[in-house]
Amino acid sequence: MEGLTAALMAIALAGLGLWTLIRRRNAIWKLLGLNVASGGSILFLVAVAHRPEARPPILGMGPGPAADPLPQALVLTAIVIHFATLALSLVYVIFLTERRHTQDVPRLERPRRRR
Amino acid sequence: MIVAAGGVLAYFFLGVVGIVTGRGRLGGALAILAGVVSLGLWAPGFPEGLLGDPPWGIPLVGDTLALAFWSFIPLVHAAVWWSERRRPSAFHGLVTLLVGTCMATVLSRDLFNMYVAMELGSLLSFLLIGYDARSRAVWASLQYLILATVGMILYLFGVGLVYGTLGTLSLSRIAELSPDFSQPTLAVGIGLLVAGTAVKAGVFLVGLWLPAAYGEAPAGVATLLAGLVGKMGIVVLARLSEALPVGMVVAALGLFTALGGLLYAIWERDLKMFLAYQVVAHIGYMLIAFGLGGPAFLGGILYAVAHCLFKGLLFQSAGQAVEAVGERDIGALAGKLPRPAAWGLAFGTGAIVGLPPLAGFVGKEYIGAVAPPPFSWLAVLLAVGAAAAFVKLVPLFRATSSEGDWGSMGLLAAGVVGFSVWGMASVPHVWTMDAVGKALGAVVAGFGLHFVLRRRSPRLPTVSMDRISVAIVIGAAVIPLALLLRG
Repeated sequence: MEGLTAALMAIALAGLGLWTLIRRRNAIWKLLGLNVASGGSILFLVAVAHRPEARPPILGMGPGPAADPLPQALVLTAIVIHFATLALSLVYVIFLTERRHTQDVPRLERPRRRR
Repeated sequence: MIVAAGGVLAYFFLGVVGIVTGRGRLGGALAILAGVVSLGLWAPGFPEGLLGDPPWGIPLVGDTLALAFWSFIPLVHAAVWWSERRRPSAFHGLVTLLVGTCMATVLSRDLFNMYVAMELGSLLSFLLIGYDARSRAVWASLQYLILATVGMILYLFGVGLVYGTLGTLSLSRIAELSPDFSQPTLAVGIGLLVAGTAVKAGVFLVGLWLPAAYGEAPAGVATLLAGLVGKMGIVVLARLSEALPVGMVVAALGLFTALGGLLYAIWERDLKMFLAYQVVAHIGYMLIAFGLGGPAFLGGILYAVAHCLFKGLLFQSAGQAVEAVGERDIGALAGKLPRPAAWGLAFGTGAIVGLPPLAGFVGKEYIGAVAPPPFSWLAVLLAVGAAAAFVKLVPLFRATSSEGDWGSMGLLAAGVVGFSVWGMASVPHVWTMDAVGKALGAVVAGFGLHFVLRRRSPRLPTVSMDRISVAIVIGAAVIPLALLLRG
């Protein structure tokens, strides 16, 4: 049951994040939405690893069934990638703020004037 | 298999060492050499094997698809290396890493490994597109990273659902279990995998970050992206449709992409954006071939290789032209091009519209010959459309100044010629009078169509980030639903 609850929470988080990404005009808000959505995808993988009455999949943590270790290993990789994505995007947002003096996405993507 | 994995590791190692020690240029050159040696050693191909101890190893395979890509990856890397040889070493280190990522992607047969390779590819291309710190390129690059990440989040949900249902991530193992869509979790999971990869591959509407990103990138980077990196999403979709019964969905996406990309390409006046929309159209063409599978799959591989070479050539020429003249508009560029750029554009255009015996002809006719009726008619329509779109480049073929860089142009043009000769030798059944006549007829018809279309200039809806995001959400709902209904 906890697994199902976690999976539903994950889907809700992803939905919330994507909603923020679409609705907000500010680039930093969009990145925050993206980060919430990627948190959702990570929680979802953890939920997939869940087994009833399971302990963490670490050697020496005692008897009983362990959670599936593979998705948890994947999650570590995904967290690192999402962290790198967020950090690099924020660097670019800082650059754009200095150069174009705005974080408003519709203004950033206005087309080039034809000469 | 060890040799191929060694080649990829050599690429990663040389890339990182190049960035850290400031010898990226040397590292890139050594990496090209390592790639060629590694390919030479595993060139007969290898069956699928596990890198690491079973059951936790990473499955790698050296099949035709992997071999075809590896055979020209060093060539494209060498062309980019030469065209950007004056750049600082960090740039070359990043390029080396990016090419290594592509090599890893085509070998991989594992859902999560493909995810890591695609994300790494996105991050590295993101850094390279914005490398010149022009604010437009930086914005295009940021939009690319955000949208590609949204796609990859969908992909991760798909990975979770497929793993939760089948208990494995290896595509061959999944294919052995021969999944059908009667289990709803599996249908939704596979749908999300396809939808997420479609964003990365540049499928029409969900992948329309592509024209801005390719159009704004520096010349060498655009060559690398359009030639090589942009194919990685397509390779993953090809792998998915190889292992899972999603071929028709991929082919349908391809159909839509081909028509949409062509529609936007025909009236585009910015040279690099025009080429980028043309990339979208050709992505659709490849997806049709990979989605149909069977004999068309081989046609897709042929076309993908040919496209990498001539599109790389076109982007290289366009990048040089734009950088030399300082204009992007096709009308403003006419008659001002340096000779290498003008000749490169002329040769690339001949190849892309499928003039026999150049590279595009082999791929196009191969797919056209094996595709079933609705798709084969479409192939003719697309050939005419592509010719009509490319006619407007004709004024650019007349060169005025002779300075310019022949090196990378020569490498890529040699690649196109080599592929054409190889195609003539190994796919002789394409060479019928019928096919040659059809190809020439398509070019002539396209020429005529151009003069009809030139008088109109319809207002196409503008592509904005919010619209693409909405399209991605809709795609993520529609594709799983379609698979669910089929189950």
